[in-house]
Amino acid sequence: MTQTAMAMEAYNAYWANSFLPAAHIMWMVLILMLAIVALWQARTFVSKF
Amino acid sequence: MDLKTLKKQESKRKISKGYMWALFCAIFWGIWYLPGTVVWVLNPFDEMYATIAEVSGDGMSLVVTAVLITAFNALTVMLALMLWNGVLGKYGELGRTLKEFHPCSKWFFLASIFGGPMAILGSFIAMGFIGGAFAAVAGLLYPVIGSILAYYWYGEKISKRAVIGIGIIVLGGISIYGGGLLTELSSGNVPWIGYLGGLMAAAGWGIEGAIAGKGLDIAEPDAGLTLRFLGENIIWWIIIVPILAILGFPMYSFAFQVFEPLTMLILVFAGLTFGFCYVTWYKSFPLIGVGRGQGIGNLYGFCAVIFIFLFFGDIPDWTIIVGGLLCITGSFIMFTEDSSALETLRGE
Repeated sequence: MTQTAMAMEAYNAYWANSFLPAAHIMWMVLILMLAIVALWQARTFVSKF
Repeated sequence: MDLKTLKKQESKRKISKGYMWALFCAIFWGIWYLPGTVVWVLNPFDEMYATIAEVSGDGMSLVVTAVLITAFNALTVMLALMLWNGVLGKYGELGRTLKEFHPCSKWFFLASIFGGPMAILGSFIAMGFIGGAFAAVAGLLYPVIGSILAYYWYGEKISKRAVIGIGIIVLGGISIYGGGLLTELSSGNVPWIGYLGGLMAAAGWGIEGAIAGKGLDIAEPDAGLTLRFLGENIIWWIIIVPILAILGFPMYSFAFQVFEPLTMLILVFAGLTFGFCYVTWYKSFPLIGVGRGQGIGNLYGFCAVIFIFLFFGDIPDWTIIVGGLLCITGSFIMFTEDSSALETLRGE
């Protein structure tokens, strides 16, 4: 199944009013950055405790 | 440096790490609302909602569609947790914990029953039959139940200062969702099943935390949480989804349509945020206790508002700003608690 035009319109509407540039991509970049920091902290935690 | 000072220093480091994990939990939980919200408008879920609503009504359609989304969320959480355990080199520990059913894994499977179908389904029932704000407020009350259970069940110490902190964070959460809550409750007939859903959410997550706290006495949080999600996947995919299909809901026809790049991408990010939120939540429990871990985790309400403001551009009302300030105050009260009070988490 592919996305319908209506579904894509509703999806894009969520990011349209964002205060950040390219918000539809930035949120994924932010999550990836947070995930990397969390994994790095978890590895540090494992080695220290 | 004498042994006592070293012990005190070690305990202080552990406590600060505990708060750090609980804060990570709140951030991941808050940002989960981005993929958790947008996935509803994508195929096949939007078409599933419309198809079921035509036959069974909006409330029932929301709950059934939510079950399928949650089941896929549980699957992608497993992927995220396999990545987490892989990076930390915990696959061996995972196998060991799984084999030790009686002392260890039974607690995590039990936690999956309360956290999965009870809390998440309850939250969706509250959302479907009353509204999103009511569901959020009901969910925010879970640390009250979690800390009371942990206190009476295995004597987890909870100081007056922590109680005040948790109370202020809960009040902050209520203020954040208060405006919407009043609108929803004053809109007319509120079905009792909606209140039951709210109670299921608060009790489910509270009980899950207390059970997890017990299981984490002997098991490791990363492995324990992965088993908890293994249990949740079994519940959704082997029990609930087939039962709904037998009852005549088109579960499988829409489930097979989910393999669309954008839908899959959103589900993967939902799984990543939800999985990391949960694993950091569990990691905080042995370090600062269930009550404090859940209290700080409750900052997700405030984090969700910030992320929704930044990425969706929804400007918050003044009640939300007041709520946010209360949340920060409550957290500050807990962060600044004397670490000697937390040297042992259990009572005498």
